[in-house]
Amino acid sequence: MEQEKELTSQESLELITRMISRARRDYYDTGLSGLLWGSVITICGLATFANYYLKWPALDYIWFLTIAAVVPQIVIAIREGKQRTHRTHDEPLMYGLWISFGISMFLLSFVLANSPSAHEAAIYLTVYGIPTFTCGIGRNFKPMLYGGLACWVFAILSMFCPYPYVMLYITAGGLVAWFIPGLILRNRYLKAKQQHV
Amino acid sequence: MFKDLNPILHSQLRLAVISILISVKEAEFTYLREKTDATAGNLSVQINKLKEAGYIDVTKTFKDNYPQTICKITPQGIAAFEEYVRDLQSYLNIKK
Repeated sequence: MEQEKELTSQESLELITRMISRARRDYYDTGLSGLLWGSVITICGLATFANYYLKWPALDYIWFLTIAAVVPQIVIAIREGKQRTHRTHDEPLMYGLWISFGISMFLLSFVLANSPSAHEAAIYLTVYGIPTFTCGIGRNFKPMLYGGLACWVFAILSMFCPYPYVMLYITAGGLVAWFIPGLILRNRYLKAKQQHV
Repeated sequence: MFKDLNPILHSQLRLAVISILISVKEAEFTYLREKTDATAGNLSVQINKLKEAGYIDVTKTFKDNYPQTICKITPQGIAAFEEYVRDLQSYLNIKK
């Protein structure tokens, strides 16, 4: 876009449309957060399922991994913030959504530890679906939209499933809600990065 | 009668910059350059014109010891852009 030429009305409208869609399409995400949380939930779910048969005391504490994962998440958020060359209008909303989700999960684990429920997996999966589905709709990113919907379907199915098999629904929830979308975002990010080298 | 199109916005690069800035909260100079495929010199001149018209705010800071220019559309810029689009639409409707 070097030579300044006289624009016709039609060309002006086309230019506006092109630039707006270019900026909107440019959803920046390295996919690392999705991969991190998808992996953590998958590992914790599978380990809890396996421990039903293995009975290793150490694996009783596997869910503490979700607290430890907050540290790399903060590092990822800081690094992504530094690399970002633009800010979108919905960014504060998305931050608020994921932070409130994190706090809710933390509180929920305390509530359910003190008042155990027969359908803990269904409760967790229902909450997993909220930010995932909202993010999918808000960013027009279908893998997360379907991931959120899948979490809610798994929540219903898990209510008719005995322990430890419910842990497989938690594992599947972590995979479809975060790991797979994270993988797709990561590939997209690396491709975009390669094009700009 | 046709209303004259806003001459500040009726320029290829300035219109591209404003269209991008209306879609995002704020953008760095490098982002605008990447999206518009313009040279740094030309983009810098056009950004200055938009700033002088009061359509964008330009903040110069440092990021990791490198100068950083952040551009953000102003309410005046939003109003001018909306009016420009309305004028364009009226042109196109009458021509049809």
